[in-house]
Amino acid sequence: MRPRFAAAVALTATAALALTGCTKKNDDTAASGDAGGEKTYKVAFVPKLQGVPYFEAMNAGGKEAAAALGNVEWLYQGPTQADAAAQADIVRSYIQQKVDALIVAPNDPDSMAPLLQQAKDAGIHVATADTDAPSSVREVFVNQATAEGIGQGLTDALLTAMGGKGKYAIVSCGQTAENLNSWIEVQKAYTKEKYPEAQIVDIVYAGEDQAKATQMATDLMNAHPDLTGLVGECTSSAPGVAQAVKDAGKIGKVFTVGLGTPQAMKPYLTDKSSTAAILWDVENLGYLTAWAGAQLAQDKPFSATNNVSGDLSSVTYDEASKMLLLGPALQITDQNVDQFNY
Amino acid sequence: MTITATPPAKIKNLPSPVTGQEIVLIGVIAVLWAALAVSTPAFLTAGSLQPLLVATAPVALVGVGMTIVIITGGIDVSVGAAIMVCSVITAKTLVGSDVNLAVAVLISVLAGGALGLINGFLIAYGRVHAIIITFGTANLFMFLGLQIFGSGTVNGIPGTLGFFGRGEAGRTLGIPHAFLITALITAAVWWYLRHTAGGRHFFAIGGDAQAARLAGVRVQRRVLLAYLTTGVLVGLASCFVIAQGTSTLDQSVGSGKELAVIAAVVIGGTSIMGGRGSVLGTFLGALLVQTVASGVTQLGWRSQLSDLFVGIFIIVAVGADLLRARARRSR
Repeated sequence: MRPRFAAAVALTATAALALTGCTKKNDDTAASGDAGGEKTYKVAFVPKLQGVPYFEAMNAGGKEAAAALGNVEWLYQGPTQADAAAQADIVRSYIQQKVDALIVAPNDPDSMAPLLQQAKDAGIHVATADTDAPSSVREVFVNQATAEGIGQGLTDALLTAMGGKGKYAIVSCGQTAENLNSWIEVQKAYTKEKYPEAQIVDIVYAGEDQAKATQMATDLMNAHPDLTGLVGECTSSAPGVAQAVKDAGKIGKVFTVGLGTPQAMKPYLTDKSSTAAILWDVENLGYLTAWAGAQLAQDKPFSATNNVSGDLSSVTYDEASKMLLLGPALQITDQNVDQFNY
Repeated sequence: MTITATPPAKIKNLPSPVTGQEIVLIGVIAVLWAALAVSTPAFLTAGSLQPLLVATAPVALVGVGMTIVIITGGIDVSVGAAIMVCSVITAKTLVGSDVNLAVAVLISVLAGGALGLINGFLIAYGRVHAIIITFGTANLFMFLGLQIFGSGTVNGIPGTLGFFGRGEAGRTLGIPHAFLITALITAAVWWYLRHTAGGRHFFAIGGDAQAARLAGVRVQRRVLLAYLTTGVLVGLASCFVIAQGTSTLDQSVGSGKELAVIAAVVIGGTSIMGGRGSVLGTFLGALLVQTVASGVTQLGWRSQLSDLFVGIFIIVAVGADLLRARARRSR
């Protein structure tokens, strides 16, 4: 019963993929499929969704790593919406293709865990990147920055602009997104500890919908007339909260920070509706992800400090948590935004 | 209000201008606004109501077209994907060449009209149920939209469409343009559907397409027109959507909007079985849904509660419609 169901799901998924335009990518994989004469390792990465600058930048970094390493074939495919079920279908298809290493940025860590087990049972090395699935069998988590680094970076940038005190609110995105929630926990604790005169008044969830994030930020400003800060917790709400402040004519009265990609944030950083974007070098994250996948595929262990590339000469690996750490978080302002082309 | 004691054999020429459902909706919205006015610091201020009306506009506007479609006994589940196609075409045009507001709107409306024409043609002449056709075209439109997006977002969209936005440029005398345009189109379509023979034909088709055909209604043309109208309104609504978003457009645009629109139509009292309905109800339905969403945020309640409330509204509205249908049959 179950295998038949799974087969039906896979079949439907294939049909749906063919319809929604992923055929091209499927053909690519099929063409270069099982015929590998010399040993190249297939490293597949499944982002939360594809087509957004964030994951496309990771893809660019992954491709770059594959080219530099020489013996790696980088596969990249994600759902067109940040949907756990659609993502699971893609993961299943990679399991059936018997890739060597499968790396996922799960939309829903809990529902991804059994699939990662399934992949492992099929002899595939599994890992997570960008977002962890802590209770899964993943062999390594490629972490862009620690939750502390992000949460404290956001809080410090915002409260510097707010003068160290006042009320602020958070517009988050997916309610089950593990990384967003872990950053929010840090923001709560760190604000309480370091900025006792500041207070988080509300946390709302807008999904990946920019217009909804903007409207929610507007509603939050109305609900709290004394609000002086807003945090956009993901790449769609970071410009959203800034746009809301701009539309309400409150630039300089309400300050915003967020996890935004540089090019999307640029207009807002320039007109000061956004004080800073906290991020990391996403292309390097993609590079590190591909490199980690290649290491796993070749059964090579990680050392405490890894020389990955010129840019990534000392990537630390934590044995206890099985985590590779890209480095400290990056603060993007109107001063340095032009250095990034994504 | 019912002064005429109509004998059961005779059918009224026109339904009453405002249905019971609409009166209930006006009441519910009034109560909600009053409750929110006392329980939140700023709900009934311009700074809160103006953005609320702007946010209502795209769903209400597409809802006008959807109401006509549903009155004819059809449905259009491709509007979310169509919004995506129109938005990305328009946004790319705005970024690529410095077109003005009118040209941008025209491009979007033409794109929407073309998509609506595809739906209308297939449904009117293909003799397959609308939900199947539009489910298919939804996937095709999605493919088309993603192809146009390429593998990235559209960045740096200029403020040309700010005329429809939340900001200062989007209002005249305090009234948001997007809302005003939506209200005017709703009023015009309301009048057309109620007072012209052509308008009544849509109801006749939804009531019994075969009987309408025998009575001389050009069913296929009317059906085509319903989907074309929806497409054109999707095009205009896409301009509102771009104006309400940020200077970046990503591929999540339009996603799930078909359900938001159908929810507004159903809550507005239009029968999902066709033959009965009103664009005024849809307009109120959209306003109610957005009021709940904003209200939940302004009250500091959990975000998902607005989904719960909308779900309850839909079930209550459909239940009321079924009860009305049963009452009519047993008469």
